[in-house]
Amino acid sequence: MATEGLAPPVSAMRSRPAWLEGLVGQLLALLASLGIALLAGSLLIIAYGESPVAVYSSILQYSVESADGIGYVLAIATPLIFSALAVAVCFKGGMFNIGVEGQYLVAMVTAAWAEIELGFLPGPILVVVVLIAAMLGGMIWAAIPGILKVKTGAHEVVTTIMLNGIAVSLLAWAINFPLKFSNAPPGQNVDLRTDQFPEGGLIGDIGHYFGVTPGAHLSWLFFLAIGAAVLVWFLIRRTRLGYEARAVGSSPGSAKAGGVSIGSIQIRLFLISGALAGLVGMQQILADRGHLPQNYVVALGFTGIAVAFLGQNNPIGIVFAAILWGILSRGEVALQIESEVPREFIIILQGILILSVVITYQIAKRRLAARQLQRAGAAGELEDSAGSDEDAGPRGPEITGREAFERAGEGGV
Amino acid sequence: MPFTDIAVALQISFTYFTILYLTGLGGLFSERSGIVNIGLEGLMIIGTVTGAFGARFFTDTIDLGTPWGPILGLLFGALCGAIFASIHAVATITFRVDHIVSGVVINLVAVGLARFLSYAFFNGQATQSDPGGPHLARLDIPFLSSLPGGLDRAFQSLSPMVLVAAFMVVPVWYALNRLRWGLRLRSCGENPEATRSLGVSVPLYRYQGVLLSGAFAGLSGAFLAAEVIGNWREGQTLGLGFIALAALILSNWNPIRLMFFAWLFGFAVAIPLRLNDAPVISALPPQFIRMIPYIVTIVAIAGFVGRVRPPAAAGKAYEGGGGT
Repeated sequence: MATEGLAPPVSAMRSRPAWLEGLVGQLLALLASLGIALLAGSLLIIAYGESPVAVYSSILQYSVESADGIGYVLAIATPLIFSALAVAVCFKGGMFNIGVEGQYLVAMVTAAWAEIELGFLPGPILVVVVLIAAMLGGMIWAAIPGILKVKTGAHEVVTTIMLNGIAVSLLAWAINFPLKFSNAPPGQNVDLRTDQFPEGGLIGDIGHYFGVTPGAHLSWLFFLAIGAAVLVWFLIRRTRLGYEARAVGSSPGSAKAGGVSIGSIQIRLFLISGALAGLVGMQQILADRGHLPQNYVVALGFTGIAVAFLGQNNPIGIVFAAILWGILSRGEVALQIESEVPREFIIILQGILILSVVITYQIAKRRLAARQLQRAGAAGELEDSAGSDEDAGPRGPEITGREAFERAGEGGV
Repeated sequence: MPFTDIAVALQISFTYFTILYLTGLGGLFSERSGIVNIGLEGLMIIGTVTGAFGARFFTDTIDLGTPWGPILGLLFGALCGAIFASIHAVATITFRVDHIVSGVVINLVAVGLARFLSYAFFNGQATQSDPGGPHLARLDIPFLSSLPGGLDRAFQSLSPMVLVAAFMVVPVWYALNRLRWGLRLRSCGENPEATRSLGVSVPLYRYQGVLLSGAFAGLSGAFLAAEVIGNWREGQTLGLGFIALAALILSNWNPIRLMFFAWLFGFAVAIPLRLNDAPVISALPPQFIRMIPYIVTIVAIAGFVGRVRPPAAAGKAYEGGGGT
């Protein structure tokens, strides 16, 4: 299963105006898809006989117009930021980590194991150790597709899908056997889960400092997520690894010719991605539940892919995308209380949003590539072949902006 | 160890074979035409909710009774699967969105859409429908169902859909290998440029491949919900769409080999359900047995045993004559 189409944005190698052009294009595409989603949502709301304005404003009212609402939104966004960053890191290197799902499950197991085996450690140290254990768990699970890709050429999409399946069973085994709860109240039918973690190993609520209800489970993990976003941004934009990763992602051939060891870059990216994925489940088990339950929240990894797309794989964009996602998710509560529209409407809205984002970004990317090709043609000797068709017609994205850039270079700049 | 247990495990494995084979065939049509489809799980999910609804609707509400009600229910699931797959088709073929991206989105959207549909279908129940929905009469396979030694159990009271799935290999193989349509579909997945130069519309065939994948996966989901379980429950596909994908990869995208792997993985799913007390198996936690299909696939895709070769152009955006 080849994924040639996956080449990440090539903005890095463009000249400044083109970079700006790309950003504007992305923003327009995002606004357009948000418009499409809200419009389609309005039609559905009208079909239910309610006013779209009223429904949308109630969603905002429950998400951003009160301290509680904001607390819930940020708590929902926290794991999504980690998971979208994990996806984005691999994406920069031209790889698709759809195994975040499995990586965070394994990380929850290793974190729960650390909580239970090392519970004697004093509070703050225990939390740090547990977070490290989680990151290690995610890294181990992410290392497998990375190593297999480099050593055997096995495509990471297939291996990560399979590893997701294995991780589900692994977690089920862990809470059925080695980590099964031992202190269940006698005579009570308790859901399958691990023991409650020691009090010191939990991450406390910080919401109450800001007037947010403790029910939101807002914790300093949110700020850790922001920190991770900044770190990833720094890594990609300001370090050698990030530069080489982008080179590998946009043109493996040129990167290799330039002396970059592609395999080592790919494995390192997978390890970083796995470490980020490892933190996805921590909000859930450390700040919220206090144990690893059987009915853990699933699909955070897959949702992270959606959020990564929404944020165009840009770390800062991802933070905003996760918050937008959180606002919509919080809308479920608004609908339940304020409206007859079923709460499942929100999931449809998110679905339409992500579908239109994927398509409009693709259109924007193609338009941009076509325009750059044109410009390259004007600069070089390609006037005749580039044609004037804005929509790229049969040539389209096969010729990416990068190639256009290279051709322009050959052309005589 | 009594043969009865093995026979019952076999019987269960036939049911899972049906699910995995139908879904796998769906993936086969799509990927043979050049469109990678990791959205099989999502297509199945749509099949489960619409199939469970369809079976009830046609049997009770429209009052067609059995067998026509359940049959139309299954076909309704297939139809809805195809309609839902058209999203993947439009995204990947017309808009040339990356196939994996679109597949992930399909899986994500399916979960929400299923819940939404369920809310509309089943009087506000968003995560399950009433149990005990109508289904086709079970049948015993002649001759085999009178085998001695307890083995007869394996071939008794099977859904007719098991036979439909098993015999599906004949028309599928014939269509792909003998019909002009199938040869063209496959060449779209191997070498779209050459196919186009022969005057064949690559997008047209790819659309057919993807819609067929939706129909097959939808049918499989409808079978799971309406025939096997008897109602719709959220999450009842349990990643079977991904196991079907694994079987498809191991089969080298070949409908005959796919039968074997679909059955083998179906048996692996059945073991924890019935053969827990058997020697060797009893020593293994059931969760480990559920990992087998995935592990086997990783080993195969990494090239440790044998070699898998996907259709050459699968996953690549094709520029020729898009948008038609």
